[in-house]
Amino acid sequence: MKNALWAFVAVSGGLLLTAHPAAAHHGWAEFDSTREITLEGTVTDFHFVNPHCVVEFDVEDIKGRVRKWQGEFSSPGPLTRKGLTAASFQPGDRLTITGFPAKNDAPAIHATRIRFSNGQEINVDAGR
Amino acid sequence: MKSDSRRLTASVYRGAGILAAAFLAAGALQTLYAQVKTSEEGVPVTDALVIARCGKCHARDERGNMPRISSARSTPEGWQDAVKRMVVLNGLSVTAPEARLIVRYLSSSHGLAPEEARPVMYNPERRIHEESDIPNDRLRNACAKCHAFAVPLSWRRTRGEWKEFIDSHAARQGFPPNEQAVAFLAEAAPLHTPEWEAWNTRSGMPKLTGRWLVTASVPGRGTYCGDMQVDEAGDDEFTTRVNLRSVRDGSELHRTGRSAVYAGHAWRGRSAGGGTAGSAPDDPSSETREVLWFAPDLTKAEGRWYWGQYQEFGFDVRLQRASAQPALLAIDRLALRTGKRAERVRLIGDNFPARVTPGDLDFGPGVIVRGIVSGSPGELVAEVDVDADAQPGKHAVRFHGAVLPGALAIYDRVDYVRVVPESAVASFGDSSHLKGSLQFEAIGYQRGPDGRLHTADDVELGPLDVTWSMHVFHAAEDSSADFVGQVSASGLLIPASGNPANNFDVWVTATAKTEKNPQGVALTGKSYVVVTLPSYTLNGRRYVRDLDRWVDDGPAETH
Repeated sequence: MKNALWAFVAVSGGLLLTAHPAAAHHGWAEFDSTREITLEGTVTDFHFVNPHCVVEFDVEDIKGRVRKWQGEFSSPGPLTRKGLTAASFQPGDRLTITGFPAKNDAPAIHATRIRFSNGQEINVDAGR
Repeated sequence: MKSDSRRLTASVYRGAGILAAAFLAAGALQTLYAQVKTSEEGVPVTDALVIARCGKCHARDERGNMPRISSARSTPEGWQDAVKRMVVLNGLSVTAPEARLIVRYLSSSHGLAPEEARPVMYNPERRIHEESDIPNDRLRNACAKCHAFAVPLSWRRTRGEWKEFIDSHAARQGFPPNEQAVAFLAEAAPLHTPEWEAWNTRSGMPKLTGRWLVTASVPGRGTYCGDMQVDEAGDDEFTTRVNLRSVRDGSELHRTGRSAVYAGHAWRGRSAGGGTAGSAPDDPSSETREVLWFAPDLTKAEGRWYWGQYQEFGFDVRLQRASAQPALLAIDRLALRTGKRAERVRLIGDNFPARVTPGDLDFGPGVIVRGIVSGSPGELVAEVDVDADAQPGKHAVRFHGAVLPGALAIYDRVDYVRVVPESAVASFGDSSHLKGSLQFEAIGYQRGPDGRLHTADDVELGPLDVTWSMHVFHAAEDSSADFVGQVSASGLLIPASGNPANNFDVWVTATAKTEKNPQGVALTGKSYVVVTLPSYTLNGRRYVRDLDRWVDDGPAETH
């Protein structure tokens, strides 16, 4: 039932003028698709929801400082077809995530590939 | 297929398996159905008004069949939309009272059996519902891209009628014919079914008058219990008087209403509380639309009484007929921790006897009733101990023959917080649209036997005491979200008054006041919310959210 609603949101979000560019509902324009980064971290939460699934994870830098990141995916439908479920990421799981960073340097990444600690890798780019 | 289904409503999720069960049931019943009637045989129309108003285009034959009409059955909402479409697109001229009579006749003579209507009740009840059981992408694109899949599944048609409908719909909406959709719907939603043949033999007004016991839950406010007196009002309608008391705080609600019943089970009405309603958007005294589904034996009903610009508020209602027997409606403690002693549990019900002993109550294995603290015909207070090694899980609560299935959860710790709805859309207002608010609840969960979070065996523990906050995606951590809206202490998100002409993704976060994770950090849960606009225009077409439709076929009209 919510499918059409989220379709509406996605379309309208892409159309409207952006008064608050860092905050508006996004397609993927807020991410810099010209460069990929790879992060390794520890999962703190996973939201298997529309319009985008989101994994939250902690990344520790070389000085031991922890920064909270969010990795953003497509909607649950495409992820389900790739074998992911709401329980795919458990708190404490180690995760390597590759994708496009946010243009405004927010700790957010549009995920294109994920690799679990067991070595399993999944291409999660919605367009591929 | 129409685009008038509503999607943003209050929380509470109907199990997605119901839809799948309907498909399976439909398939299993095909052998029976083959014996009922030939699949293409129409349902005759006998109502003089329908014949007079619809007969110009749908000429009635010697068997009483009218093309298209006799080949279909649907819900009251389905027929209402069909009549509207005929008025807007085909020049049908009817008065409003005539339209109501036409819808009433067709919803009953060409309606759905209760078993057929139940799987798609989330649609007229205006619930948030994830339709996760659409068989494949072709059907999703054909039937659920613009509206709920429940819209086509609210109809029953002959195979020929499904083909004609889908072909014409495809032509109108500009997508290719979809034989797969025709095949699926002809199989899953045929005109003739054993359920309808059995149900349709009943006649006359359903006997619904009398006293009904009511359990009504309002997200953010908890459960209310009470009763509803139903009286005949003539013309196939009923009046109602409802008295409810909050289990949480004892506050009372008194409502009066009027409803019609279609096809003997589809309750559609309105009611309102006394006094000054509407001062707050979530005021439970607000005027509500009532949508109820009555079980075939007419001893119980369930549904939603909703209100709000986007039907985002509502009572989740269950009715059961009052009788001389004791009845259980609710308990005030939804979860008890293992090892707890002398915990008081209040049971709300009806016709409790004057003398009750601990042996009369059963909370399941590992829960010992120490004594009855107090009792009255409508309420019992029991004192219980929970064994330290009691098995976590849901327990039924029993009193004599009355049962509340899964009413009490036994747990050893809260593992996570789930904010419901988990994702949703709120709406800014404008000069012609009120804001669309959202009520959130933070529900505690314990991991199930598999030890993993967010799996089917997790145990729901009920609402937690939390603080609420809101954060805009990708914004600086300490930045304010006030320009998008605010979340109250009770979890009510009200969008900001200004309309910033944009959508915003926000997290609505619940932070538990007492429950912590193994590292001693307060548990949190989040909902992904898009705060959006009431309408927008694309390629000359305007989408209006509270109508849930593209408005390109005439002026926007509220239902």
